[in-house]
Amino acid sequence: MGADGGASTATATAALVAHGLSKRFRKKVALDSVDLSVPAGSITALVGPNGAGKTTLIRVCMAFERPNAGRVEVDGVDPWRHRSEALRRVGYVPQTPAVYRGLSVEDHLAMARSLHSGFDADYARRRLDQLGIPLDQRADTLSGGQGAQLGLAIALGTRAKVLLLDEPLANLDPLARREFIQVLLDAVRAEGSTALLSSHIVTDVEDACDRLAILGGGKVRLDCPLEEARRTHRLTDADSPPPGATAVGSFLGKGGQKVMTLWRLAGADTDGADGQSAAPETTSLEDVVLGYLAAGRGTAGLQLN
Amino acid sequence: MITRIWLTFKQHRFETLAITVVCVVLTVGALIEAYRLSSLNVPISCFNGSYEFSGLGTPTYSAGAHCQALVDSFMGLQNGLPMNLVRIMLLLAPLLAGIVLGAPLVAREIEQGTAPLSWALSGSRRRWLLGKVLAGVVLLVPLMLAVGLAAEVLEGALDPGVDTHAAFQNYLGRGSFDVFWALAAFAGTVTLGTLFGRTMPAVIVAVIVCLFVRVAWEPGMARIVLRPMAVERTQMQGQFQTFYGGGNGVVIAPIAPTPSSGPSPSGGPSPSSEPSPSSEPSPPVIGYMPYWVQTDLYSYTQVFLDGKPFYGDPYTLPGYQMQFDASGNPIYPDPSTMPNWVDYAIPGSQYWPVVALESGFLLLGSLVFGAVALLWVDRRRPY
Repeated sequence: MGADGGASTATATAALVAHGLSKRFRKKVALDSVDLSVPAGSITALVGPNGAGKTTLIRVCMAFERPNAGRVEVDGVDPWRHRSEALRRVGYVPQTPAVYRGLSVEDHLAMARSLHSGFDADYARRRLDQLGIPLDQRADTLSGGQGAQLGLAIALGTRAKVLLLDEPLANLDPLARREFIQVLLDAVRAEGSTALLSSHIVTDVEDACDRLAILGGGKVRLDCPLEEARRTHRLTDADSPPPGATAVGSFLGKGGQKVMTLWRLAGADTDGADGQSAAPETTSLEDVVLGYLAAGRGTAGLQLN
Repeated sequence: MITRIWLTFKQHRFETLAITVVCVVLTVGALIEAYRLSSLNVPISCFNGSYEFSGLGTPTYSAGAHCQALVDSFMGLQNGLPMNLVRIMLLLAPLLAGIVLGAPLVAREIEQGTAPLSWALSGSRRRWLLGKVLAGVVLLVPLMLAVGLAAEVLEGALDPGVDTHAAFQNYLGRGSFDVFWALAAFAGTVTLGTLFGRTMPAVIVAVIVCLFVRVAWEPGMARIVLRPMAVERTQMQGQFQTFYGGGNGVVIAPIAPTPSSGPSPSGGPSPSSEPSPSSEPSPPVIGYMPYWVQTDLYSYTQVFLDGKPFYGDPYTLPGYQMQFDASGNPIYPDPSTMPNWVDYAIPGSQYWPVVALESGFLLLGSLVFGAVALLWVDRRRPY
């Protein structure tokens, strides 16, 4: 659980755990004592603005970056100390579709099979067949969506327990995004694997994920189930706070006419959240995310005349 | 592993094709040029002739008109554009092939963002790199062997009557050396590509380093590493180099060199070994070198004073400049105070030991570069 999200006790069943994870690039702090737990079998959205540390977190999990402090475990294995053992348990989809320009789709699967002893090429091939992606097509002639699907098929073909997806939707059109998420959902449900999906497009992950982690300024601002995030927050104007609620952050409301404030409700960790109704009203996920991102940036510049 | 080698070739198809085509064309070109020279069938004795000038008339060739025509044809081929192109390319091909294939091997993966994909799939980056390097070796070794053998054949045709395995003429640019040069350039450039993560900087630095090493290699090796193999030139009479048309050529019959008499850096030769070629009895003449042939590998010149190695500037010695008395008669200095230059060289009989030693150094360099690349690829970021 994050700084504002309460403590998690689910580390025993967590597929990915970070403890006090810090990473600096010279003077810039990318991750600042990050504590995060991704329960096994969940699809967690890792949301945050550009520069929040999402990619760095995933790269540390892939042993591409060495943490300055703290540690991370992927399926119980520290990737920096036991890289090959950790990477056997991880399927990775990079930010931009990483394809070899001169190789065909089938060549990519052959290469994956030669590099990863447990790679299930038939499984990946079936996935690509279902999407109508020709195996003999050169990868550099694939569309952006097809390239992303190829990356996902390779990651799924590893039959890894944990999937780390670093903003795979960023460069895709809405239809390609929808298809990508559907393939991911089907695979994760069928295999019972765990996915950490990094994105800054909240609407895309809203339907796909069951858990939300918000990163801002290198810190975890919120880490909880998606439903809880909606239920335990309220968005009002700054002058009318819900009783006993704590202000999270203020930002310009829709239309840009009014400064809105996100509030965390009192007793937010209990069922019913505000304890006032049997069918509690909810806040949109986008508002929750915006509130926490605004908290990370401060409210300077949001005052209206 | 075969799949990975094949996929590496496909991934680097431009470099693979370019190197293969250039090497095949170069091999064929060198063999054709060698055939053109050999097919002239110039008798070795023809090379001993010289042009004689009498008045304003056309100079005549002392070995006869037939020889003159043959030698002119030979020289025409030897100095022709195709021959020069082939010889320059033979010199550069191993280095260029190693650089062109080695630079993008890792660097392009980092530039194009494919390294994270491969490194995420392969638990061991070292194994991943080894697979790619193996593909490079599989391509380079047979191609460079073919080029090296063609260069060997061409050298034999350029120096008719000379055993190319007992002469150091262009020895670094033929035979198995081409393979080892290519491997060293390849390993070095792979390492640079791994360090920089960029192809062009790796190529530029590799070209500069390779040219420097190639130029400095022979004098460096001869003066330092091969020094124990050097013997005084006076003990090698009959194996000296000479120039075509210069005097009567040189006798081939060697006085058996004594490698064990090579100088030690501290002691040098005894005073009795001072050279005085004019006072030595001439060895029996049994044949002539056709033209300039380097049968020995120049090593270094050592200055001796009073029979001991002298490491200062001999021109500053008091007895070096001639002194005159009041009558203008020269005052001859004490010979023991005069500096004495002694040439050392490595005889052609040491050809194979030299080849083995220098090949070993190149191979060792390749392995060291490879080890650095393997260490670094494990540490570096994939972007």
